[in-house]
Amino acid sequence: MNLQLIFNGISLGAVYALIAVGFAIVFSILKFSNFAHGGMISACTYIAYFFQASFAKTPPLWVTIVVTSIAGLFIALILDTIGYRSVRRKNSPNIYYFVTSITFAILIEQILTVFFGKTSYGFPAMFEKKSFEVLGANISTLDFVILLISIAILIVLMLVIEKTKLGLAIRAVSIDSKTGRLMGINSGSVIIFTFALAGILAGISGTLLGMKYSVYPGLGGSMLVKGVIASTIGGLGSMSGAIIAALLLGVIEMLSVYNLGSSVTPVILFGIMLLFLFIRPQGISGKYAQDKV
Amino acid sequence: MKKQVKLIAMILVVMMVVSACASNKDTTKDPEPTTAPGVDTVEPTAGAEAPADLAPIKLGNIQDLSGGASEAGKANAWGVEYAVKQANAAGGINGRQIELITMDCKNDVQEGINAYRLLVDEHKVDAIIGPPLSNPALAWVDLATEDQIPIVGHFMDERVTTNEETGEAYPFMFLAEPGCAQQSYSIATYALDTLGLKTFGTFYNAGLSYAVQHALPFADYVSKNGGTVLAEETFQTGDVDYRAQAVKIAEANPDAVFISNYAADNALCYDYLREAGYEGTILGNNTFQSPFSSLVKTKVYDTYFLQNVDMENPESDSYDIVKAYMDETGAKYPIANACFGYDATTVMIEALKKAKDTSDGVEVAALLAQTKDVQTSSGLITLNPETHRTIGLPMLIAQYDENFKLIIVDSITLGEGLE
Repeated sequence: MNLQLIFNGISLGAVYALIAVGFAIVFSILKFSNFAHGGMISACTYIAYFFQASFAKTPPLWVTIVVTSIAGLFIALILDTIGYRSVRRKNSPNIYYFVTSITFAILIEQILTVFFGKTSYGFPAMFEKKSFEVLGANISTLDFVILLISIAILIVLMLVIEKTKLGLAIRAVSIDSKTGRLMGINSGSVIIFTFALAGILAGISGTLLGMKYSVYPGLGGSMLVKGVIASTIGGLGSMSGAIIAALLLGVIEMLSVYNLGSSVTPVILFGIMLLFLFIRPQGISGKYAQDKV
Repeated sequence: MKKQVKLIAMILVVMMVVSACASNKDTTKDPEPTTAPGVDTVEPTAGAEAPADLAPIKLGNIQDLSGGASEAGKANAWGVEYAVKQANAAGGINGRQIELITMDCKNDVQEGINAYRLLVDEHKVDAIIGPPLSNPALAWVDLATEDQIPIVGHFMDERVTTNEETGEAYPFMFLAEPGCAQQSYSIATYALDTLGLKTFGTFYNAGLSYAVQHALPFADYVSKNGGTVLAEETFQTGDVDYRAQAVKIAEANPDAVFISNYAADNALCYDYLREAGYEGTILGNNTFQSPFSSLVKTKVYDTYFLQNVDMENPESDSYDIVKAYMDETGAKYPIANACFGYDATTVMIEALKKAKDTSDGVEVAALLAQTKDVQTSSGLITLNPETHRTIGLPMLIAQYDENFKLIIVDSITLGEGLE
């Protein structure tokens, strides 16, 4: 087994995990697929790029991540305020959430295209030493840093979800919002917090994606597809499931491209997703989905 | 009801604001449409010495002004406008001014067909200057034949100019630079003969005809001329991560890897190969110039790539055009596409000058096929009547020096059998 491929797959999977969790967290509460998450990621990638480009000396990475997290948070809250909140207030069917999220995704990508065109931008190089060797495998310094940041963020996120009152409230509302309200949980605030959390994750994902790849309007949308697959395989709405599935997905994708080629790989990935939907629709974890059922 | 009216009013206001923002950007930065969305016209020069009763010659111009290749497309469009302005200022074509109508194909086949139809059916153009994009241009081959509209462009895929099965030239399609295969043969010749390399890999987007038509002839040429192809790795349009392919190439460890995509993908391929530990030579197509240099994140070394013009050399014919482009548009770096648009238009204008009836597509196409020694920014262009592509036009070999400045190191002119 090629160690370099495995590492590349895990680092790719870690970024997928950030995207999948941002997608899953909204699904767990509101039971709809927030496709606008891809647009938010793209917007945050541009913000990260232009923030860095506005300084003669590139600011530290953590500063950029903080700035894009805040930007992602505000974008998420704006989308919630102008779109999802009214759907929520009217108790509209879930299809309205779906249509609204698709509309936002397309709108954000188009706005980015209007202002920046489809020209690709590149983040400046961040590390003097581009790669290092471990057991004969060349590990990219950037991939390693992205992996560390992703793991750190995911650990913090899981701690927030599992160990804090707010996390408990999110879990309660995700299982049954009406019962949650009867127990004294302000579900409106929980929903807003959830969107804010998804926005922060979009900000971080956008920065990491921009660092690794080129910046263009469709970047977030392209990567969201993998996030959706991971979220589905992990169990829609399950964060731990999404993380495990995303890491597996990254490794499977790398091995599949290496052994079978790039044209066959999407068939494999979507095939795995379909297989899960047929055989185990609750996904790897499936806890929340079963509860909902 | 009131609420609905308010909602509609709000949507209209938002739309107006967005379009206003877009048009503001266009007018300040780019040579963008001014008369209608997607359409730009260069009117005949006021006061030029042209009899008033002579109608202008209508020349269509289809470029990618807002798609994925718009940076190159806008430079191309500028080059076309520059050539037309020069021609009009010099009295036009046999006393007739040129009216240029530019349309945006957005690097999309269907948009390209729509633009073509509008130019031919509505604007009644006599001829069209095409983009440096093969995918949209492939869709015009049959249309141009049916409508008898001559098209000169920089669509390098040979299938745009000649029938793949019969080898015969399409009567109305003309290429004003060496084709993909010709360019690939040039860099392969340099790698084999000058660099003395023996084993090769290719790394390209299998969904991009431009990339495929570079990579396959390259592999074919080196195989037939003493080289060995050890790895042929591809990715698909829309893919973002190609690290697995890079690892595979690095494991095969050929002497050189030929990368033949657009600039953004080239930068990613280059980075992934170096990150995978590949330390051999990188060979590139003619999109290793900027913005490649601003997108690549790893140190660029031992890299040789193709260039059509020596645009940073004041002695070169292309220098003044690229400088004018940068001065007028505020572009951050030189881009050869300004020259491409200029060259294609110059070739077309020379043919139109010789035509008795510029609206007779058959006559103009026949004259284009006889194009000989037309002075352009790339040098003297002669078109091969058998293929409708250039013959004898050299390709330059470039590399980046230690200060990341592009320098020309050689020039390759292909022998007869390869053109």
